[in-house]
Amino acid sequence: MDQPQEEKFNLQPLADIDQVIHSSARLMILTYLYVSESVDYVFLQRITGLTWGSLATHLKKLEEAGYIEVEKGYQGKKPHTLIRMTAQGRDAYRIYKDKLQQVLGSLPK
Amino acid sequence: MADQLDLKQAERKLFRTSFQDGLLDIMISAFLLMFAIAPLLSETLGDFWSSVVFLPFLGIVYFSVNLLRKLVVRPRLGLVKYGPERITRLSRFTFMMMVINVIFFVVGLLVAFFTPRGDPQRMGWPVAIGFGLGFLFFATLAGSFLNLARLFVYGLLLAVAPVIGEWLYRQFGFTHHGYPVVFGTVAAVIFLVGVTMFIRLLREPYPPDANAFTGEA
Repeated sequence: MDQPQEEKFNLQPLADIDQVIHSSARLMILTYLYVSESVDYVFLQRITGLTWGSLATHLKKLEEAGYIEVEKGYQGKKPHTLIRMTAQGRDAYRIYKDKLQQVLGSLPK
Repeated sequence: MADQLDLKQAERKLFRTSFQDGLLDIMISAFLLMFAIAPLLSETLGDFWSSVVFLPFLGIVYFSVNLLRKLVVRPRLGLVKYGPERITRLSRFTFMMMVINVIFFVVGLLVAFFTPRGDPQRMGWPVAIGFGLGFLFFATLAGSFLNLARLFVYGLLLAVAPVIGEWLYRQFGFTHHGYPVVFGTVAAVIFLVGVTMFIRLLREPYPPDANAFTGEA
């Protein structure tokens, strides 16, 4: 009787879930980058509410994984850092989202 | 974590955050001031020129707001380039507003041209209700396209303003159908909201140099 429920219950996708994305701070950063073209460092800090140091650490990890591009330049005389998601990052985010939703959907209510 | 994956909500929050400076509200209040002051000027300048003199005023406000955005807001609030979905939505909104403005303008001209000047006592209510509904329509459209809830509130305020103005005119003899008082009040309320948001932004600690954290200091 419980067989269909057991078959549906599947945590296997969690085993190979992307650990770079699987942190609440990095997931939050990537979500905002996914829905925008690009954001600058100040805006990202404001919308995520992360501290400057923590944001820098997470961005570095995401940049090393090739999920984001950090473009450093100047606006007038002031330094300006622009961040955007790479195509690789978008693919990884989609895969992560699908896997997580698959797992969450299989959990009993 | 599942909450963080609601892309629509995330996009809305991103968009709303970029409007936390109050400058949109200040622009709206400057525009509404025209409805408060133009009736007072119309006696000396006439209906047409009393509105036209506001164009340079609105130009100055627009220029000042853009300057504030560039010099004061952007370093504090940051910069965001919206995704393709939002850009399409904004283009659609701009196009719709343009079409509706043209329709309203043509209808307004036709009504003004073909309607004989009636007794202000009789014309007051239909004009006030029509005006109110027009404002409500514009504000609702803007609120739903821009996902800014406060625009709905402004729409409601603007919908009742001309009706209250008409009532003040009939009950207490307020000048110009009460429009200077009611639109002046609504403009002041919206201006205060904008200024409060702007001051709140100014009071936040100034963001440090981002490069200090990204290894380029």
